[in-house]
Amino acid sequence: MATISKTQVDRLGERLKTGTPTELDLRLLDSFRRSFAPAYEHVVSTIRKEVDFEPTGRPAKSTTSIVEKLLRETIRLSQMHDIAGCRLVVADIKAQDDAVTRLLHALPETVVMDRRANPSHGYRAVHIVCQVEGQPIEVQVRTLLQHLWAELSEKVSDVVDPAIKYGGGDPGAQSMLAKGSAVIADFERVERLADDPSVGDGLIKIKRDLHAALKSGIEEWKTLER
Amino acid sequence: MLFLIEYDRSRGTVVNMTTFPDHDRRVAADTRLDLEIALNRQGVQREVVLLEAANEDALRRTHRRYFANLPDLVENPGDRPT
Repeated sequence: MATISKTQVDRLGERLKTGTPTELDLRLLDSFRRSFAPAYEHVVSTIRKEVDFEPTGRPAKSTTSIVEKLLRETIRLSQMHDIAGCRLVVADIKAQDDAVTRLLHALPETVVMDRRANPSHGYRAVHIVCQVEGQPIEVQVRTLLQHLWAELSEKVSDVVDPAIKYGGGDPGAQSMLAKGSAVIADFERVERLADDPSVGDGLIKIKRDLHAALKSGIEEWKTLER
Repeated sequence: MLFLIEYDRSRGTVVNMTTFPDHDRRVAADTRLDLEIALNRQGVQREVVLLEAANEDALRRTHRRYFANLPDLVENPGDRPT
């Protein structure tokens, strides 16, 4: 496979933004994505062997997601750090902190994006981007609650309005997601302190209440599914 | 195990899912490209994504968006980490 230059990649990105990719564009994009395979496989293998997690991998970001990101942000295609990556879902905030510490120890040249300190439109998680021979690979680490919120946000965006995931769209849906994210943030603050079993029982109740609130919100919004 | 998913975002449903063993990584990637080119020729908007997981159960836990509708996501929120 011939090496694709950075200029070629960025020109491809500009063509993809027009929304009508040619077959040649799709083949070039495929070659670009496949160039991440060795780095991706190294990272997934390292996580399995050295961190003892079984991640779900995404060897190549979908064309749909790439085009949306190019249109949404000022980023160039050659600058995207999540062309390939994987996801871990852990039980709670303490397990997340522990997983991040272990991943930072095992993976090379890492940068941490802590979306708990700086949520992105309500999205909470920790993303680690590592570099393997110059190729960025993204590792997403989510708690079960963060994962529930993220899946909900993506699904609402899929079936109601794609803008919702990035802070746009229907204000009611935005409000529901914002409240959910805020409750999860509060939950995590208490969770960090919860060594006392009685506090743990309280957290289980809060978690149940959160699920009930999200369920109620969805009941209101499901009529909006296209 | 590799999973090639054709997803209709507007309907929120998986149109087709094909599985490949780990050693068929290249075949899976080739099939993904062929599918994307075919859909592009037909002018059909679909998300085509290749994912890798230990098994289908693990995939359905970490990528529930593809498999569950909105009420199901919160009705059965999932309580097992990966």
